[in-house]
Amino acid sequence: MLLRKNILGLVATTTLVAAMATGALAQERVPAINIDTTTEAYDPIRYEAAYIIAEKWRELGLEVNVRPTEFSTLLGKFYDQQDFDAAIVGWSGRIDRLDPHFYLGTLDSRATSLGANNPGGYSNPKVDELFDAQAREFDTEARRDLVHELQETYVPDAPVIVLFYRDEVVAYNNTAFGEMNAMAGEGLYSEWTPMQAQPLTDRKTLRIGGPQEPDNLNPLASTSVWGWKWMRLYYDRLVRLTPDVEPMNWMAASVEAVDETTIDVTLREGLTFHDGEPVTAEDVAFTFGYYQAQDYAYFDAYLAPVDTVEATGDLTVRFNLKTPSASFANIALSQIPILPKHIWEAIENPGDLTPEQIPTVGSGPFKYASYNRGEIMSLEKNADHFQADDIAVDGVEFVIYADMEGVFTALQTQAIDMTAWRMEAGQIPLAESADHLSVVSVPDFGYYHMTYNTRRAPFDDVAVRRALTKAMDRERMVNVLLDGRGEVGTSVIAPVNAFWHNPFVETFDFDMEAAKAELEEAGYSWDSEGRLVK
Amino acid sequence: MSRRSYLIRRALQAFVSLFIIATLLFFLFRAGLPDPTTALLAEGLSPEQREMVRRSFGLDQPLWQQYLLFLQNAVQGDFGFSFHYRAPVADIIWERLGNTMVLMLTAITIAYVIGVPLGAWLSWRRGTRADTTGIFVGLMFRSAPMFWTGMIGILVFGVMLGFLPTSGMRTLPYTATGFFDKIFTLDFLWHLALPAMIVALYYLGSPLLIMRNTMLEVYGEDFIEMARAKGLPERRILYNHAARNALLPVVTQLAVTIGLAAGGQVVVEVVFSWPGLGREILNAVRTSDFPLAQASFLVMAAFVITLNLLVDILYSTLDPRVSFK
Repeated sequence: MLLRKNILGLVATTTLVAAMATGALAQERVPAINIDTTTEAYDPIRYEAAYIIAEKWRELGLEVNVRPTEFSTLLGKFYDQQDFDAAIVGWSGRIDRLDPHFYLGTLDSRATSLGANNPGGYSNPKVDELFDAQAREFDTEARRDLVHELQETYVPDAPVIVLFYRDEVVAYNNTAFGEMNAMAGEGLYSEWTPMQAQPLTDRKTLRIGGPQEPDNLNPLASTSVWGWKWMRLYYDRLVRLTPDVEPMNWMAASVEAVDETTIDVTLREGLTFHDGEPVTAEDVAFTFGYYQAQDYAYFDAYLAPVDTVEATGDLTVRFNLKTPSASFANIALSQIPILPKHIWEAIENPGDLTPEQIPTVGSGPFKYASYNRGEIMSLEKNADHFQADDIAVDGVEFVIYADMEGVFTALQTQAIDMTAWRMEAGQIPLAESADHLSVVSVPDFGYYHMTYNTRRAPFDDVAVRRALTKAMDRERMVNVLLDGRGEVGTSVIAPVNAFWHNPFVETFDFDMEAAKAELEEAGYSWDSEGRLVK
Repeated sequence: MSRRSYLIRRALQAFVSLFIIATLLFFLFRAGLPDPTTALLAEGLSPEQREMVRRSFGLDQPLWQQYLLFLQNAVQGDFGFSFHYRAPVADIIWERLGNTMVLMLTAITIAYVIGVPLGAWLSWRRGTRADTTGIFVGLMFRSAPMFWTGMIGILVFGVMLGFLPTSGMRTLPYTATGFFDKIFTLDFLWHLALPAMIVALYYLGSPLLIMRNTMLEVYGEDFIEMARAKGLPERRILYNHAARNALLPVVTQLAVTIGLAAGGQVVVEVVFSWPGLGREILNAVRTSDFPLAQASFLVMAAFVITLNLLVDILYSTLDPRVSFK
């Protein structure tokens, strides 16, 4: 009897030991990770950044492959197919993105479908709730609190890591023009520079040089920021954002919120289009109605809150919104150009206009003069504009180059007065040593980010995301890849956007020991070959 | 076979080739390039908004329908609307092709006008220091990457000496609009000088070396011996007898060069910001601008095919022994 009991005990113990052994065997290696990034030729910075990250992740016992991919293909894989483990992409800092709505929207769990702006699939109900709340909140202070709380909420989850905010380094010819003020995110090529520049020589035409050409100058077809950066100089807006990014009444004499969904705008008196016709409330109402009717995708997001726009008098317009929108005045009113009704109402399919057929009549501070594709675009000053007395240049020319090398040579030989786009790293010291050039550096609020695919192992585990983020030497990226011209990333709302940026979010400083501790705490360990297992 | 029926047959062949190329291009670009609205992702457009853009490009239609429409329009010389520029593709291509051809033909003419006689002369002085130097210089510019020679050119003539413009086709501000208004000005020639020189130096090697080497072969032929025996002056043997016979491979090479010139020299067009077709093709592929990309390549193919046809015809004039078979 006793013997039998002992045997049973022995069997039980053996089974237990075996079970424990199997348990240990069941610890599996964390799957290999692919980091998708740009090719070296397209962007050496993002390419090198991927290798800096991979090196440290390998030290944590992960198998990491860096996959440089042609840019359009990379975007397609990232957004349209969501076929990635971790990818380095970026958002450019367009002025209308200074309102926090756009960047925060990339964390919205309802934007996780194929092609939408949250390809990593990050989902946090609290974040969604705060996102909706800030969109409805009209009181700016209260909205800021919500935006700050949202940043505090999402950052510890580490779904999207802002690698760094890069400084935009541009230059201008200080013997030709003065009063050249750079603006965050826009550099020197802001809408204000041509209005503020002071000619120092007999030549009063400001010459801008850049490697980017607009896709087209059709205000109902252009889908590039380079088209609008130019068109905004001759199509005027109701509101313009000041260099400090405050909405400033421009064509509008006043903007008043009657209630949460009704906004009344009164126009300045005496505004005229370039063809001499007066600008009236009818033109404003027509423009918004026309954009709504035309399926012009580029302005869709701005127009989304708009229900109807009606002229309530010669100079007064009422905007009826579908839902309260905190950012409407900042974004829509400052981005939608006012078109002349008497010209556009006859055009049924504006998207089919050939370049010669596009009406170029606006009411802005400059008038359209000419466009030779691939060579040059030019504008002349509008002497009838309400700001005309303060504008010292008599025209603006944009010279189109094939690459930044061409732009820089033109700056050196004084063929142009300023660069529209950031200089390459090697050009900055050359520009600094040239007497006739002044170098200006402004922080960008756009950013390069590494997005983890939170649907896939191991990034479905928040501990892994946090640990791997701590294992990113972003300080080194800024010092080596940006030559110190930039700042390590924290939140999707950049520090230069001081009002909305939350300076107290978790920073994930580079610390390999902390990264290992975080992994151990979450139940990860390392096998005999040093590979990470769980 | 008569000359006429030969020409008709060759023309038909050319037409069939173009049709096949057009078809291949149509499907290759659609299969191989990313969706043309991918670039809009960077602008933050939502999937619905991008679908809107895709619809406006006609990309929501079934592929075979798009293909039939493309063929139907192409036969009528209508290559559609560029996605990117929202302008008729034909206008863009003619304008850019004009800019490219002015640059390329100038450079090729310089290269051949200098290269052919120089090559003949080198063969006559074979083995001397002049010959060695000539070959070395020709090979050097042929092998040096053009972006490099271009940049050196810009540095020396544009930045250091400052007497040649470094980019573009004319000085600001300008008013000329028509193509011929544009190119028949001193200012244009001044802008053309540096890029044309760089391309010419690159092309110089081919006619130079081919001419020299073919000449050396021809010298061994009996008829040269015969000419010498007749006591003709060396100069006359060189240019009237040997050179004419050595010209055939040079002509072939010239035709191929011109045929490929339509595509431009992307590198030179980029270095000098020359608004030519090569740069445009690169942009079209980069932005997945299907109508512009397929039409550009079709134009290039048409050039090559036509030039080949011309060479075959020219051959019979240069060398009556070549017959139509």
